[in-house]
Amino acid sequence: MESVNQKKKCMEVKGLSKTFFGKKEYVTVVDEVDFTVYEGEFLVILGPGRCGKTVLLNMIAGLETKTDGQILYNGKEVQGRNPDLAMVFQSLALLPFNTVMENTELPLKLRGISKKERRETAQRYIDLVGLTGFEKSYPSQLSGGMKQRAGIARAYTANPKILLMDEPFGQLDAQTRYAMQNEILKIWEKEKRTVIFVTNNIEEACYLGDRIILMSECPETVKQIYDLSDIPRPRDMVSDVFLTRRKMISDTMELSL
Amino acid sequence: MYNSYLSKSKGYKICMILLSVLSVGLLIGSYVWVSGRNAVLLPSVGQIWARCVKLFVNPIKGVNLLAHVWASLRRVLLALLFSWTAGVVFGILIGWSKTLNAIFGSIFELFRPIPPIAWIPIVIMWFGIGEFPKILIVIIGSIVPVVVNTRAGVSLVEQQYVDVGTVFGADNRQMLSNIIMPVALPSIFAGLRTSVSSGWTVVLAAEMLGADHGVGALVTRGWNASDMALVLVSIIVIAIIGALLSVGLSLAEKVVCPWNQ
Repeated sequence: MESVNQKKKCMEVKGLSKTFFGKKEYVTVVDEVDFTVYEGEFLVILGPGRCGKTVLLNMIAGLETKTDGQILYNGKEVQGRNPDLAMVFQSLALLPFNTVMENTELPLKLRGISKKERRETAQRYIDLVGLTGFEKSYPSQLSGGMKQRAGIARAYTANPKILLMDEPFGQLDAQTRYAMQNEILKIWEKEKRTVIFVTNNIEEACYLGDRIILMSECPETVKQIYDLSDIPRPRDMVSDVFLTRRKMISDTMELSL
Repeated sequence: MYNSYLSKSKGYKICMILLSVLSVGLLIGSYVWVSGRNAVLLPSVGQIWARCVKLFVNPIKGVNLLAHVWASLRRVLLALLFSWTAGVVFGILIGWSKTLNAIFGSIFELFRPIPPIAWIPIVIMWFGIGEFPKILIVIIGSIVPVVVNTRAGVSLVEQQYVDVGTVFGADNRQMLSNIIMPVALPSIFAGLRTSVSSGWTVVLAAEMLGADHGVGALVTRGWNASDMALVLVSIIVIAIIGALLSVGLSLAEKVVCPWNQ
């Protein structure tokens, strides 16, 4: 735990709230959320159901306006899009008319980087996620897991300081999901970038996270923060320490439901 | 398709092509069988062919069949050139911006339901019966489906694709060229395809009401002279050109949207 506290803060979320005006009443989906993100950590936001986790992440990414609160990045308040962030979308959101290569190089293309240079960078991440040989395939020709790999490669190509992942494995079958969890850890250990990973799956959260922020049901607030950085990696899902922590978190989670 | 694996085999494809050939063949065959009984109302295939040859030997209004076809085709193509460019640009603008849609979309909605043929008297009164009024009427008729489909395609682009552009830092121009336009392209193509057929409909009507040259003029001439063979020659020519244009457009779509198959 000491080690985490000594780490450098890179993002602070303070009192972040979001209220939508529904048909008749105001609906608050995110309510006064506070947390800190440390540089290089794998932070998991774990929450039940489909409440406000995506909205929370979208506010951080600048896709959604915030009703109240602050997002500090390296000590400065951010309004709207933060160019140091990239996102892996829940809905995949690969452009159907672009090949894997064109999808992956998109962030660099938008920055006006020359074709040769962006192809090189994109190719590196296509290789890293294991899509070598599928550069010319269209998303419709890929399986669910491969699409997700392409989405991850695209986010890394943007060279972000912080990578946001919104339930990226939610639509995958269990087998592919395990494979992708290992894959994402391998890439994270290699690339050393901060990851904020949203999920509703406790096992996934415990397997991946340095820290877990447990959110409550609607409106979403921070219920508890767990530090799991003492569990050595690669983690064993049936080891005692893993199961104890998992039970601890799931007990709290059930109470909040 | 209950046995989808068959649909991919070569034999199955050939079977399907044979079936289409057979059904067209049967239609022609049955016409051959019934025609010739009343040479005025149902001219035989031989008569139709003879009439077609006669159009080259003894041209109407000084030009042969091909020149008449070219006169119509030229009007349609010139009109389509304008309505595709203007229609796509206008459709993108009102699909993209809610403000522009409120201002210009409402005017468009007002004019949209008017059948293009209804404009013919006004256009002829204003601009006479030269080339320009005919082309103008075809533009009026063919621009509507282009605008409607482009606007729908652009305004229905899913939020997730726009989010991708936002997260990775696309400005407005990049958003339009890298994300909105390609997503809307299949829908735009649907509009272009419809505009070709409505363009032909309108050019025929315009020519039937007053033109020296053009397939529509041939139809009117055949009608006035009770020359059904001439009318049928014109109809067959229209069918062939319509089919060619449609095939050409499908090929163009395959080249421009290779992902959409």
